[in-house]
This record gives sequence, structure tokens and C-alpha cells, in this order.
Amino acid sequence: MTVKYKTIKEIKQMISQKEISNKEIIEEVYKLIDENSHLNAFITLNKDRSIKKAEDLDNNPSDSSLAGIPIAQKDLFCTKGIRTTCGSKILDNFIPPYSATVIENLENAGCISVGKTNMDEFAMGSSNETSFFGNVHNPWGEKLVPGGSSGGSASAVAAGIVPAASGTDTGGSIRQPASLCGITGIKPTYGRVSRWGMIAFASSLDQAGPMARTAEDCALLLNEMCSHDVKDTTSLDENIPNFEDSINESLKGKKVGVVSDLDLSSLDNDVIGVYENSLQEFVSLGAELVDISLPNLSLSVPTYYVVAPAECSSNLSRFDGVKFGRRSENPKDLEELYVQTRSEGFGDEVKRRILIGSYVLSAGYYDAYYKKAQQVRRLIKKDFDEAFSDVDVIMTPTTRGPAFEIGSKGSDPIQMYLEDLFTISANLAGLPAMSLPNGNIDNKPIGLQIIGNFLDESTILNFGHMYQRKTNWHMFTPEGVKQ
Amino acid sequence: MDKKTVTTISYLSRLKIDSEKEQKIVKDLDNIIKFVDQLNDVDTSSIEPLTNPLEKTAKTRKDEVTAKNLKKELLEVAPSANEDYFLVPRVVE
Amino acid sequence: MSWETVIGLEIHAQLSTKSKLFSGGSTEFGAESNTHVDLVDMGLPGVLPVANKEAFYKAIRFGLATGAEINQVSSFDRKNYFYPDLPKGYQITQMTKPIVEKGSIKVLTDKGEKLINITRAHLEEDAGKSIHDLFEGETGVDLNRAGTPLLEIVSEPEISSAKEAVAYFKAIRQIVTFLDICDGNMAQGSMRCDVNVSIKKSGDKELGTRAELKNINSFKFIEKAINYEIERQIRVIENGESVVQETRLYDSDKNETRSMRSKEEANDYRYFPCPDLLPVVISDKELQEIKDNLPELPEEKESRYISEIGLEESEAKIISSSKTMANMFEEASSKTDDIKLVAKWLVGDISALLNKDNIEIDESNLSPENFGKLIERISDNTISGKIAKSVLEEVWENGSDVDEIIQTKGLIQIQDESVLEDIARKVIESNSDQVASYKSGKDKLFGFFVGQVMKETQGKANPKSVNEILKKLLK
Repeated sequence: MTVKYKTIKEIKQMISQKEISNKEIIEEVYKLIDENSHLNAFITLNKDRSIKKAEDLDNNPSDSSLAGIPIAQKDLFCTKGIRTTCGSKILDNFIPPYSATVIENLENAGCISVGKTNMDEFAMGSSNETSFFGNVHNPWGEKLVPGGSSGGSASAVAAGIVPAASGTDTGGSIRQPASLCGITGIKPTYGRVSRWGMIAFASSLDQAGPMARTAEDCALLLNEMCSHDVKDTTSLDENIPNFEDSINESLKGKKVGVVSDLDLSSLDNDVIGVYENSLQEFVSLGAELVDISLPNLSLSVPTYYVVAPAECSSNLSRFDGVKFGRRSENPKDLEELYVQTRSEGFGDEVKRRILIGSYVLSAGYYDAYYKKAQQVRRLIKKDFDEAFSDVDVIMTPTTRGPAFEIGSKGSDPIQMYLEDLFTISANLAGLPAMSLPNGNIDNKPIGLQIIGNFLDESTILNFGHMYQRKTNWHMFTPEGVKQ
Repeated sequence: MDKKTVTTISYLSRLKIDSEKEQKIVKDLDNIIKFVDQLNDVDTSSIEPLTNPLEKTAKTRKDEVTAKNLKKELLEVAPSANEDYFLVPRVVE
Repeated sequence: MSWETVIGLEIHAQLSTKSKLFSGGSTEFGAESNTHVDLVDMGLPGVLPVANKEAFYKAIRFGLATGAEINQVSSFDRKNYFYPDLPKGYQITQMTKPIVEKGSIKVLTDKGEKLINITRAHLEEDAGKSIHDLFEGETGVDLNRAGTPLLEIVSEPEISSAKEAVAYFKAIRQIVTFLDICDGNMAQGSMRCDVNVSIKKSGDKELGTRAELKNINSFKFIEKAINYEIERQIRVIENGESVVQETRLYDSDKNETRSMRSKEEANDYRYFPCPDLLPVVISDKELQEIKDNLPELPEEKESRYISEIGLEESEAKIISSSKTMANMFEEASSKTDDIKLVAKWLVGDISALLNKDNIEIDESNLSPENFGKLIERISDNTISGKIAKSVLEEVWENGSDVDEIIQTKGLIQIQDESVLEDIARKVIESNSDQVASYKSGKDKLFGFFVGQVMKETQGKANPKSVNEILKKLLK
């Protein structure tokens, strides 16, 4: 009996059939973590407490929806008593006195948080190369990036270590690594999941979500992650449906928006081929393709690279060496304390974004950049509003291609920023969006993005699950197709 | 974006730029700003900025004291503190 | 050359909510350091602010009382700067859409009443406190105050002298205390102000370059700081130099202002809308409720005292001049039928003591409850008016309880007429010469006998009874 590459659904079955004990599951997870240590997917492990929790479950079985399910938590969520680094040197000794709402929700549902996963520093990156704790490797190839920023989470799920991981997505940080690692991940509607305890990168864009092997598992996780939290005033008190309920609905007559003004010219033919094949699969499932226009889509990357740095430059001011985290040694005065602590504690990409943020907010540039970008952001949202009056979902490739090699994007940050070309607009507009595996190129997985209307995660999950009932791309593992 | 601007924004950001990296950073920032400059081609004259995707209004709290005394826990996570205060090098006003 | 002074005030009034503006931390003053610090006040990674509605209600009361516009949709912005007692590296404030705009307040100046316009009043969070001189080479940070709600009240630059600035500050203090939105306690820093001062040639339209004087927290210092600054600016200009726009610190020990933080000009606060906080809406219903329950303001009190209670205009003015004075009046009036007596004490003895010490009533040791007791003991004849004066003096000294003073000092008035009569007889017997003179027509000597009886009783005799008894015995 093994839990490697198993889905949540399968593990639940194994537990309920008493094929495996909770303790055996957790012990195997730690064995798998050990065997895959070269992936560098974890920053901090939570072994003793996890095994204890599994033993307790064996003694007192629970009927909570996710009882005993091992989960890897992105190291961006505060976990009470467990080091939380956000992938940064500046927090390498930070042990929060409280836990994020997402963590509490998942643990209350019975999940066992086995460890904290590696990530791009403060979630700023698309390849996991910016982590202070080193690159994460993609289980599909030692030299390949797992994507980012939730690269550790994606890598751990893709390697079959855990069936589930939490991620966060500010511009594609769940979907892009899901695509590059061949797993399924969803960024919910902004406000669905509480941001309390999530270390903020860009507050108006950040949203936590699940990463798993299937759309169905994502639905199970999302059921527990969502809540209305009074501690986050941007957390929505809208009805939270049971996301499992409608995943088996027929797609007959449902409309898929295909973006007519999407510039695919920079993509490889293979990538376009995989994308177009998937669209045809949905046609064969009864869905109808409808051309839609998102005329301002191409502006989403420049818009994002004003808004996100602006918010991050302010959000990261609290890392100043005064109240928590790392402080530089023997500063001669307060000014040196600030400058040394921050200059030593932050990596280059984080510094670059803070500087850009300070620039676009500074006197004389605010209107030209920050205000302008927020105006364009409204145009982008308006495009989506109009499109969704005609269609149920919108589909695009998640990424411009499969996983690339570590170091291959060179030193031009803009090349890396363009990685998120297809994913960023959903964050700007606050819409839910999922990536799920839809093909393999040179034995490297790639994903399809399904964007849904505001609060309509159910429809995305329905499309995803129906697709995964018909295809087996989600069954592909680095060790071959799962039986 | 020039050296002087970078000096100003790095002061505002409390970041020091190593001299050997300075040239590259100025260039990177300049490229990024040029890249986002394409926004200027869009006519947004009558468009309200969208600062949060939720076009909603805030929920608020009642005026109640709910906090516990966390003095010990909070001073414990501080890089430098005595039993009563967070400590920093002496500030001269 | 004659110069005109242009002054604008930014007054920070701590709103008297129980909890902080964005957290459930307590706002209690004087607690042990860092014990009222919530996760949010600490600015820990991952925490989020949630606005306290009561702070809005209090701000709106101020807006309504100053005839201002209330923005029923208001929003928050971040002001970014680094300082150890600013935990997040930014202060949440209302830059673009303040809750209150365009009000005004009447101020009594030497030249009569003057209307000073209030540009805006917005909500923001206070910083913590830096303690500079407690530790060798280090500054300690206490975050108890961090996040306390402030109402920043910004005047138009329409104030033309230091005296007028003080009068304006007093008027604002009067109104916030009457509205019960701020305790007005200057010593505890509940009200502080920044002063913008510039000068221009008489008749010039254009404003001069201004200097900002930071964080002054007493009336006396406001006046001194402004006067010093005016003279300094005149000196600078008359020397052919120009005034620099900068922040200056008032040093009360040396009575001078000096330039603060040389890097101030390089500071750029990079205001932008706080992405954690959506706009806050005040409904029409909420607004109406606040209007309906607005506490009585000084002018309303004054006219009620005149028309309903029958006080003299001059009395009513003094009594309604401060919240504490009015409280004293109302508290004591409930303890006696002789409301005129209450007014007489406030306008007479108490005002005299205030003038003598040059303090405000709420800086004194006298509480409304204690004053109420004093009046009660006079009205129920426990003590005489004369004894009451000495009791008041003692309360004024050390704040002791009125009843306790009366008890421990044995000041209870002698009510037993037979005791008084015995004393009166003794006085008459031992002053036979005076008795003879009195009887031969020297009426004025009557006072002498009263005085002697009072002396014998150490002032504890009821003067009315003494009069009656002496009249009877000296017939």
C-alpha cells in the first residue's frame, strides 16, 4: 500500500476501508519527502506534530471531510509555532504567534500540515529561482523549473509526495506552476478565501487556493478553504456552495469563450496544437465555442507590473528589523539598521519590485503610472464583464510553453514577467481561474487555463472534472501514466 | 530613470544598492518603466481607477476590546527587546 | 515694514473609543508598556485591518457640530514612511476622501467673534511611543498607543495671531469634549497640534513660505512657539534671506524652534489607496441617528441655562464654557433646590481659584461629584458657607473627598440652638463695654458679636441662627 501519486479521494477511500493507518500515511509522506529531497520542495517540516496527529486519528477516527489527508502548506501562510519564511532571508527565523485562517480551516477539516513548501521570495517570481532557500526542481526534470511562486507546493504534489498543497496566486502563482508540473490548481474569486495570515505581496491581487492532482480534489479542498472571515474585510460573505455538487453536470450547451484577439504568434506550434485539441475535447463534451474579444488583455502585464510593485513596496515596509524577523548585526544607528537589514534580507527581485513600487507611487509619477494602471485595470475588468454576458467560461493556454530550464530566462526580468501573460488578467479582475494538465510536449506537461465568472468556481470545476473524466493528462506522472 | 532617481527611490525604500550592481539595476528599472510606459497609449480620460476588484464597501467592527495581552509573545519574536520594550539604536530628534 | 501672520492648525484629537481604529486592542491610557498591542497593531506579517465604526460616528458628530459636509462614503489611504514606532512602515489615514469636509467654528478673539473654516477632519491611526532617554544608547518602543483612532482637524490658514491660534484650539477642544468624542486631556497627549506659520507683507495676496511646528501639546507652548517663529521669520526676511519650507521642533526649555530632520525634504509619503480596506459607507439611517442623538453644545447649553434655569447671561457663559464646568453645574444642581447658589460658587470662588492658578477646570483637583457633595452639604446645613470655602481650598490642594474633610476635621455645623445660645451669652458677658455701646445706638457692633461667636465655634455655627440668637439676647 502506498499513497504516492494518490488523490485525496483515493486516500480517503483507503482510510475508510482500513487499508492503511493514518500513521502509515504520514510516515510514508516523510519517507517520500526524504527520497525527493533533491527537489528542495520543503523549507520546514512539521514531522513530530504530524505523526502525533495521525496517531490521534488512528485512536479516535474522525469523520471530518479531510481527516488524515496530508497537505503541504506554502511557506507564505503564517503557522503558529512553526517557522514561516516566505522564502526570504529576512524571515528565516520568524515563528508566528498565530495561524492563517486558511491553515485553520484546512486543519479543522482534518488535514495534517506536513511541512512548509519552498517558494519564490515573497511570491515574487515565476520559476522559484528567487527563493533564499534555493531553487525548487521540477520532478519532470532535474534541470527544469517548477514554475512559481508556489513551486514547492506544485513540485511536492507532482512528485506524488502529498495529494494536496496550498498555494497563493497574485499573478499566476498557482496556475503557472500547476501547468509546468502537470497538476491541477485553482485561484478562487478574490475574496472567497480569507487573506488573514497570508503574508501580503499585493493585497488587491493575492488569493489563496488549492493545488492537487484533479479538479475533483480541488473542489474538496476549496470547500474547506473558503470561509467568510470577519478578520479580512475583503473576504466575501457570499453563499459558499458545495463545490462538489455540480462537478458532474453535463457541459451540453455550455459556452466556452475563445479569445479572438489573443496573440498566439509567440507560442510554439506544439503549444497551440495542445490548446486547440483541448478546445475540441470540450466540443465533443457538448460545449459550444464562442469567439469573444478581450481588447485590453495585452495590457495586463504592464498594468500588473505597476499595481503589484506599488502595493508590495508598501506591504514590505514592515520588514524593517525592528519588531520581528532578522536584523542586521551591530547597526551604528537607526538608518543603518533599516538599510542594512533590508538590503541583506531581501533578494534582487524583491528589491527590484520595491524600487519600482516606490517609483510609481512617488510624487510626480503617481498619476502617470499608478493611477493610469488602475484605470486600465478597470478597462480589463470591463472586457471580462462583457465577455461573461455571452459565455460560461473563457479558455486560454496557462503558460507560453512547458517548463523551461533553470537559469534559461537570462537576466532580463521582463522575459520572466511575460511568463504570466495569460494568467495575470484574472487577478486584475478578481476572477476565479484554474489550470489543469491538457498535454505533454517532449515529456513535459502543460496546462489549460479555464477562467470563470465572478464567484463561479463551480462551473470551472465542472468543466475541469468533465474534461478529466474524458482524458487522462492528469494521470501522467514523471514515472509514467498512473494506472 | 537615471542614477539620481534610483538614489532617491532607494532612499525612500531603505535599500542600499551595491555599486557593482548599480548599473544593472538602473538598466533593469529603466527597461521595466519603458515596458509599462505602453499604458500611456490608452485613453483613460473618463475611467475611474479600480483599486480593488471587489467593487463593494467595507464591513466594519463594533467598538469592542477583543485583544489579549500578548506582550510576552510579541517581545519574544523581536530581534531586540528587554522585558518591556522593543529596542532600536538611540534615535536623536 | 509691517507684517501679517498666516497660521493654520492641524489638531490631532484622540477619539475616545474603547478599542483601536483597526483592531480590538484597548485604547486605555497609562497601561503597562506593550500590553495593549494586538497582532494588527504590531503589524505582523499577514494581519489585516478592520475599521471600527464607532470612530466614524464620533468623527461625524464633530462634522455635524461644525456645520461640515459628511462624506457618507469615505476611504483610507496609506502614508508611507519608516519610524520605529510606526509598526507597518505606513500610517493608514484618509487622504482623498476624508469623513468630514468644509466645516467652520466660531472663535472669540480680541476683536470679537471670528469664523474660522475647517478644511477637513479625517480619521487616522496614531503611532506608538518612542522612549529616548530610558536606556543607554537605545530607544525603547511602546506600541500601546499604536492604532489609537485620531481625528485630524485641519483649519484653513485663516488664523492671524498666536493668541487667535490658542483661541481656536480652545474652541475645538471645547467642542470635542462637549461632543464626548475626545477627553481633551492635553497632558496625556489626547490633543496635540502641528502649526503652520508663515508671514507676508501687509496687504500682499500671496502667502509666504511656511514652516511647520510639530507636536505641540499645551496652550502656553502654542502661543510661545508661534510668537518665536513669527519673530524668527521676520528676522530671516529682513536679513534678506528667505524662509525655508521645513518642519521645526519647538523646544520649550529654550523657548525656540529649530529645524528637524534634515532629510525631511527628501521625504515623499507615496500616498495611495489602502488595498486592504474597502470604502466605508455611512447609511442615511445611521447619519440621522447620530444627528438625533447629538449631545448639547456650549451655545445650546448657554441659552438653556438662561431661559430655563434663569441664570444671568454672564453666569451662563462661564458655566457653559467647558464640559467639566457644565458637568459640575448639572451634577451639583441635582443636589440642591438653590441653583443660584451653585452658579454663585462656580462663577465666584471656583473661577477665582482657576484664575489664580491659571488653569482650566479639568486640570484642577475638583471633580463634578465632589463639587456636588460640597453644594449638598451647604444646602442641607451640614456646613456653613464659610467652612465650605475652607473645604474647597483643601479639595483644591489635594482632591480629598468633601465628606471626609468634614468628618476628620469635625466641621459639622452646630445646629443645637441651646449650645449656640450658651456661647452667645458668654460672649455678651465678657464684652460688657461693647454691649453698652451697642445698646446706646452703635448698631454696627452687631457684626462684632457675630464674629466673636463664630470665632468661639471655629466657624461651625450656622450664621443665620447666630444672628437670631444675638438679636434676641441683645434686645
